[in-house]
Amino acid sequence: MYADYAYLIVALPVLAFLLCLFLGWNLPRGGGFITVLATLGAFIVSLGIFTETYPNEIVHQSMPWFANFNVGILIDPLALVMLLMVSFVVTLIHIYGNGYMNGDPGAARYFAEAALFSASMLGLVYADNLLQLFIFWELVGLCSYLLIGFWYRKPSAAAAAKKAFLTTRVGDVLFLAGIILLYNNLANLNIALKPGEYLLQFPVIYAHIMEIPADQLTLIALGLLGGAVGKSGQFPLHVWLPDAMEGPTTVSAMIHAATMVTAGVYLVARMFPLFYAAPYGLTAVAAVGAFTALFAATMGLTAFDIKRVLAFSTVSQLGFMMAGLGVGAAVGAVAVGVSMFHLIGHSFFKALLFLCAGSVIHAVNTNDMREMGGVGKYMKWTMYTMLIGSLSLAGFPLFTGFFSKDEIIVIAYEYGTMINFLPYIFLVLAAILTAIYTFRMWFSVFTGKERSNYGKHESPMVMIGPLVILAVFAFGFGFAAQEDFYSYLDSNFEHYDVNFEHLAAIGGHEILGEHGAEAAAEGEHAAAEGEGGGEAAAEEAHGEPWYIQILPIIVAIGGILTAALFYWDKVKKFDPSQVTGDKDPLRQTLLKGYYQHEIFTGWFAETVVYGTSLICNMIDIKLVDGWLNWLSAWVLGFAQHVRKVQTGIVQNYVAALMLGVVVLVVVIYLGKGVGLI
Amino acid sequence: MIPLELSILLASTMFTIGLYGLITQKNGIKLMMCIELLLNSANINLVAFSAQQPNVNGQVFALFSIALAAAEAGVGFAILIALYRLYGTIDLDNINAMRW
Repeated sequence: MYADYAYLIVALPVLAFLLCLFLGWNLPRGGGFITVLATLGAFIVSLGIFTETYPNEIVHQSMPWFANFNVGILIDPLALVMLLMVSFVVTLIHIYGNGYMNGDPGAARYFAEAALFSASMLGLVYADNLLQLFIFWELVGLCSYLLIGFWYRKPSAAAAAKKAFLTTRVGDVLFLAGIILLYNNLANLNIALKPGEYLLQFPVIYAHIMEIPADQLTLIALGLLGGAVGKSGQFPLHVWLPDAMEGPTTVSAMIHAATMVTAGVYLVARMFPLFYAAPYGLTAVAAVGAFTALFAATMGLTAFDIKRVLAFSTVSQLGFMMAGLGVGAAVGAVAVGVSMFHLIGHSFFKALLFLCAGSVIHAVNTNDMREMGGVGKYMKWTMYTMLIGSLSLAGFPLFTGFFSKDEIIVIAYEYGTMINFLPYIFLVLAAILTAIYTFRMWFSVFTGKERSNYGKHESPMVMIGPLVILAVFAFGFGFAAQEDFYSYLDSNFEHYDVNFEHLAAIGGHEILGEHGAEAAAEGEHAAAEGEGGGEAAAEEAHGEPWYIQILPIIVAIGGILTAALFYWDKVKKFDPSQVTGDKDPLRQTLLKGYYQHEIFTGWFAETVVYGTSLICNMIDIKLVDGWLNWLSAWVLGFAQHVRKVQTGIVQNYVAALMLGVVVLVVVIYLGKGVGLI
Repeated sequence: MIPLELSILLASTMFTIGLYGLITQKNGIKLMMCIELLLNSANINLVAFSAQQPNVNGQVFALFSIALAAAEAGVGFAILIALYRLYGTIDLDNINAMRW
């Protein structure tokens, strides 16, 4: 029954967008309650669909659009967990936003844009074809641009919005190229489509991956990965995400931490069979993800702005998710479940952390952690909810982040035993740094002495409420849902015509390892593969050495203790300046974000791009314009001579007229004479 | 009955005189008179051919043509007066503001 109303999931927020846009300025608090109700409605519909379809049904509705394309709704386990997470988190953030944006003159605009964002993100998640997904993908990017530049009178906010838009555009162009390539290849296959099937629909794509040439698959996968890298802030297109913190904190929580930036990961998960089949497809994903995870974590160590710390942490955790998908080359489709679990868990605790940071900023009126300190005395609720979020992010045992992140590290180890240990090493190092920077932030905000004279009050209940709810999920989601989540998500691709063994053959993955891992996950292929080989592989896959199993725990606790020794005044043993002074080149490198701005903007944009464009400009002026100008000058010169004919003397005209008549008469008579006319 | 050849001869003589005047003369009023000659030579042709075959269509056309010529002369002289006021002359060689 609920499935019949699936369209409402997008329609309700769109309605809220229109209402807030046109009537919001007339309503109390900019009409924020409309947006809350709309997303709550979307959440209820999603929940209804979940109860109807769980555990093994999918919803697929579609109608023709134009030419070879359709619009449709595809709700499978992968989409459904995203729908639930997005609508839930976004609803809480809108509730919080009602408190946070109270009194802002642009509140109506904020809620309209936030509603549009919710609609596009939900639409992206349950689109049933790539074209529709791309349209919502762009809408999400637009909302991101609008909301980063929400305080558009501030030059830094306007610049950050522009940067975000342009940087993600680089990825989006690659994404579009990937879609076009994919469409072209599918069209070349001359597939006999049944009525109601369209080329870019996911089930059709899944069913025909095997028939596409392998080199084309790699190109397509790299194009799609480009889009994902741009949207999910992976290296080298991550530069926009830390700057995106110029928007209101609710925006950072909603778009740049919990939901939108996961769209890239979701895209890779959605197209996982294609990445799996493409030679080097998943290798590229793993490399990008693992590198970004470590790279961003190092920068998180030195940032002073509380929101930038969280932004770098987001980039790093998105790297974990990407790497989790990438190591699917060794463990198969299980990786989708593992990565999505981290995605969902991460959106709970990262939304929580951002909202806590927003609560602190709301009271203290600064983003700079050097001016905070001892805030915990005045903001108990915020302090303890943020502690839960931080423990979860750091991967402290029994918290959500512990289950999800460590599962990624474990499958990365399996990937290591079969293919390459580099992602594993990167991820473990990143996990240590995660624990350190998270608690550096927590200790320096909430403990110690007050380092400046800031506002001392707790935030209103409308803001605390969502924090508490999110804290419950950030703590409990992990051990409450882990097993069911994995089995639910692992069933995702069973709804489609996907044969992972064939795909592995195209992608050049080790078939044996593939079997072992699948057996470990599902325990059913093992016997079929015969003679206990599969079972042995299954044993091996589950039997990592004990030190691998407990390493993540040691890493998390060790990281937290390290941070405490440096930043908690009660147990402080070392001063950070003993490790790296202010002038230290390493510290400077991290603070400047590896000189990306200097390299990308200073060197690449201003020297290479500007120089190239100067040359192009010269070619344009001298060559392209040149011959055109020469031609028009010639025509003008010719006209200078021709116009002398117009003497202005009437007699000349009469004479010419008569001459014409005479010529005409002569021609006609002569023509008649020789029989031409 | 005047033979048709004589009428055509008269008409073509008038036409040639008018055309000659039109090409050689500079004075606006003389030009107007030449144009009248051209028109009337055509009128003579119309009347002559009309009388040749028992039919008044051509003569009716000649009347229309005379009325049109009167109107044209009215407009033409008005333009000449306007030109005279502007330039102080109606010598068309001096009136060349519209050429290149």
